[in-house]
Amino acid sequence: MKKSIFDKKWVSVLVWILFLVIAWEIGAFIVAATKRTPENILPHLSGIIAAAFSTKPAAGKLTPSGVVFTSAGATLIRAGLGYVLGAVVGYFMALLMKLSGIVEKLIFPYLMLIQLIPVIGLAPIILAMTGSINQSRVIIAAILSFYPVATNVLEGMKAVQKEKYELMYTYAAPKWMIFTKVLIPSSKPALFTGLKIAAPMAITASILVDTLQGDGGLGCMLSQSLKHAMNIYVFWLIVFFCAIIGILSTYVIGWIELAVSPSKRAMNRSKKPHQPKRRKIRIQNYMENGGMENDSQIQKV
Amino acid sequence: MKKREKKAAAVVLTAAMAMTMLAGCGGGSSSSSAASETEVQTTASAAETTAAAEGESEASGSVGSDVKVGVPTEEAQKVLKAAAEAGQIGNWGNGNQYELLALLNKYKLPTDYVTMDFTMDAFDSDSITLASAMVYNELGLVMNDYDGGYGYGDSVKTIDMNDEGVGMLEDNIFCTKKFAEENPQTVEAFLYASLKGWEYAAQHPEEAAKIVYEAGSSVSQGHQQYMAGQVAKLVQTDMNGDTVKQVGNMDEKAMQQTLDLAKQYLNLDDASAQDKLKNTTLDDIRDTKYMEEAVASDGKSFKPEKTDVSIQLKWLPQSQFMGYYVAEAKGYYKEVGLNVNIVSGGGDVAETTAVNNGTVDFGVTWVSNLIAANAGGMDLLEVAQIFQRSGLELVYKPENFK
Amino acid sequence: MTARSRRSNSLDAALTVVLPVMLGIFIIALWQGGGLQALFHTDSYVLPAPTRIFSIYQDNSAAVWKNIWKTTSVAMLGLLLGSILGYAVALLATNFPGFGGGGLAVIGAFASVPLVALAPVMNNLTRDVSRVAETRSFVAKMLVVMLIAAADMGLNAYRGLTEVPPYSEDLMMTYAASKRTVFFKLRLPNSVPFIFTALKISVPASIMTAIVSEYFAEYAGGVGRQIRENILMAQYATAWVYIVAACGIGVVSYAVLMIVRGIIHKKLHM
Repeated sequence: MKKSIFDKKWVSVLVWILFLVIAWEIGAFIVAATKRTPENILPHLSGIIAAAFSTKPAAGKLTPSGVVFTSAGATLIRAGLGYVLGAVVGYFMALLMKLSGIVEKLIFPYLMLIQLIPVIGLAPIILAMTGSINQSRVIIAAILSFYPVATNVLEGMKAVQKEKYELMYTYAAPKWMIFTKVLIPSSKPALFTGLKIAAPMAITASILVDTLQGDGGLGCMLSQSLKHAMNIYVFWLIVFFCAIIGILSTYVIGWIELAVSPSKRAMNRSKKPHQPKRRKIRIQNYMENGGMENDSQIQKV
Repeated sequence: MKKREKKAAAVVLTAAMAMTMLAGCGGGSSSSSAASETEVQTTASAAETTAAAEGESEASGSVGSDVKVGVPTEEAQKVLKAAAEAGQIGNWGNGNQYELLALLNKYKLPTDYVTMDFTMDAFDSDSITLASAMVYNELGLVMNDYDGGYGYGDSVKTIDMNDEGVGMLEDNIFCTKKFAEENPQTVEAFLYASLKGWEYAAQHPEEAAKIVYEAGSSVSQGHQQYMAGQVAKLVQTDMNGDTVKQVGNMDEKAMQQTLDLAKQYLNLDDASAQDKLKNTTLDDIRDTKYMEEAVASDGKSFKPEKTDVSIQLKWLPQSQFMGYYVAEAKGYYKEVGLNVNIVSGGGDVAETTAVNNGTVDFGVTWVSNLIAANAGGMDLLEVAQIFQRSGLELVYKPENFK
Repeated sequence: MTARSRRSNSLDAALTVVLPVMLGIFIIALWQGGGLQALFHTDSYVLPAPTRIFSIYQDNSAAVWKNIWKTTSVAMLGLLLGSILGYAVALLATNFPGFGGGGLAVIGAFASVPLVALAPVMNNLTRDVSRVAETRSFVAKMLVVMLIAAADMGLNAYRGLTEVPPYSEDLMMTYAASKRTVFFKLRLPNSVPFIFTALKISVPASIMTAIVSEYFAEYAGGVGRQIRENILMAQYATAWVYIVAACGIGVVSYAVLMIVRGIIHKKLHM
């Protein structure tokens, strides 16, 4: 096979980013030439970067970046709390469903239903129920995070090979030991699949609910700056910041996964230095994903 | 292998070159934006000095003459007709549209309007030629050129809802009926201190804006100053443009007009709520007793039943709510024995819900929202009316209507 | 299969349906009777009884359906165009693996961009599309849905097109099959299940996106807008009608997707 420079993934990603930057800038030049207030529609990237380092106060005594980081703190803490809460509840829900088929039959369809309710419909109702803006946002982030975790973990637990159970029976292992030695360890990859899906969702939900309810947070400042209550570049900064944390969140969970699963780390290490042939990786991927549709990815709303 | 690395280096190099080129263009535009920034600053400081001058003139008592007056009725009718026929009248809906509907009805025009998003961009780009704007908020952004402003200056004209006789009252102070009955002294003390704060703020808008700014603002300083100046006028001037004798007064005629328009233009899908709305009278939504007693008192003899109270604002900290921040900063609440927590909110927090379920004790809302909430089954009571005239205006560029 | 296991199988199937339905009836009864409100520490104002919600729906059914249609049309058209776009990108990436791989990484990044940030930007970008606010607003909402759907479809379809069963590619090579044949006989059928995986994610996501963009839209209307407007006016019972409608759109479209998937799976003998 002909080797191309694009085989290095980062090179091709870089080229794509460059392509997007150029497309953006062309758009910005067109808008600048035709519109009265181009910064509201599509500003030059340089303007956005300049705003990030600007020391002129934008709102209160905060600089544009100050506004972004202060409100990001509020949003991310709420998203993080909800995420952890949702993941824990989701994990135990999966355990419970694995333990009892009746429980699974009883609640599984409803878990799905909750996921299909648009979060914005829930937001004001949950706020009215809890009476606290902070609590309501944590709960909403939790609701959105728990379903991917619950379903993925359940799938993971169901996919445990029969032989492992049989081995445990030959050891005459008690039921709790089957859980600690077989089910919980082998559901770990599935747990992280769920966690990776849930991370950007928790953040998106948190930002979205900020937008609706005000009282600080990224989404709130997003709509506030969009309304021109402050420099419009704050809006663009927040848009970019949201995109970056959304993307980062998935990677961070990936790193955590590597940190806590030695086997995966070892596998990655063996993969990296001597790039095995393409075909081999593909087969490996195929094996990992069971070849068929990966049902453990259903849940992104 | 080596060849590949070379190739990679070449790509990186070209990429870097392209980047620097872009940065070069960017540099050019950023320097120009820096130039415009200084321009903005000078005009902003000019605006501040005029605001200060206005503040002084208000302090000396000549308020009524300062009120911004919209265009005369004949001109308004002509503009409305043209915009309505072109389908280019904008409003936000969500309960902000009743005055506009009443105005269109007054001139027997079709009552369709385009929904505006949070910005005035549609007005800027002429896809909406007659846009709704709150005089203390969006109108300032359209006219001024501080951060976030569109800088149209005096080249835009406005149609004022008060002049057209379709004004509805906005920001008030309310609580639940139950809370008022159980804690009359608290309500009176709270009103006494809040109104004192509002009086001070209305006379010293510039200082009030600074106090809000210190309290944690979400608005640029230039806009905060502008807003304070305009809100001061809304607090001190009634719908006819006359100076108000008592801040917080619930003017019978203005309240009745608000209620009548709400009854006519509020359309609730819930049949039982709609019935209740049609039978609403002024006595269902407000009680002047607390306000009268608060005004009559010397401010020293309150015995609040509840000393720790909170007030839910309609939105984030901004000069729209400066009276409460001033009362807090100047210690007026402490003087009457209250410990007040100002809760900023916004959006779907729906201050009416927060007060109704007891999360907070007092709230700031528009009279029409309170009417709708009571029709829906809440039991809320207005205890003071802060804004004495409607803040809604329709703004247009005269060149679009030649 | 023995008779006994068949019986236990049909019992199992019956339980799968009966148990959730019973729970549903129980929840609704609790809701109607006020138990749910007590459980959530709320009142019948914020959480009105189902009968009250239903009676408001009956009074306004025409308007409710109009709003449902507004939201669904945006969601479905956006989903369709976005899925086509996403699949096209995946095809491109399959044929130019190195370069396209990077493109997919970038598209994947789009999937994690909070859509609340996209909606208002899109409003401004589409300002010149039409003088009619309704059309303009429709396009803006649809474009946001499209981006979200394209990201999901792109990533999944690429996996479907490339992760073919091991050695089947080699088998094709031994047949001296052309690239075209490999594509139609191997890659395309292999990608079908992945298309459905993508749709399972993007169908609910498109509805959600359509609803959220209504908040920022220029032309009022749609389920999301009604939810917000009614809550702002403290009309919770009416808001609930639209919340239920939003769930309904989600459930029905998901069910339709599952049925279509079942039919296609059968046709492809999978």
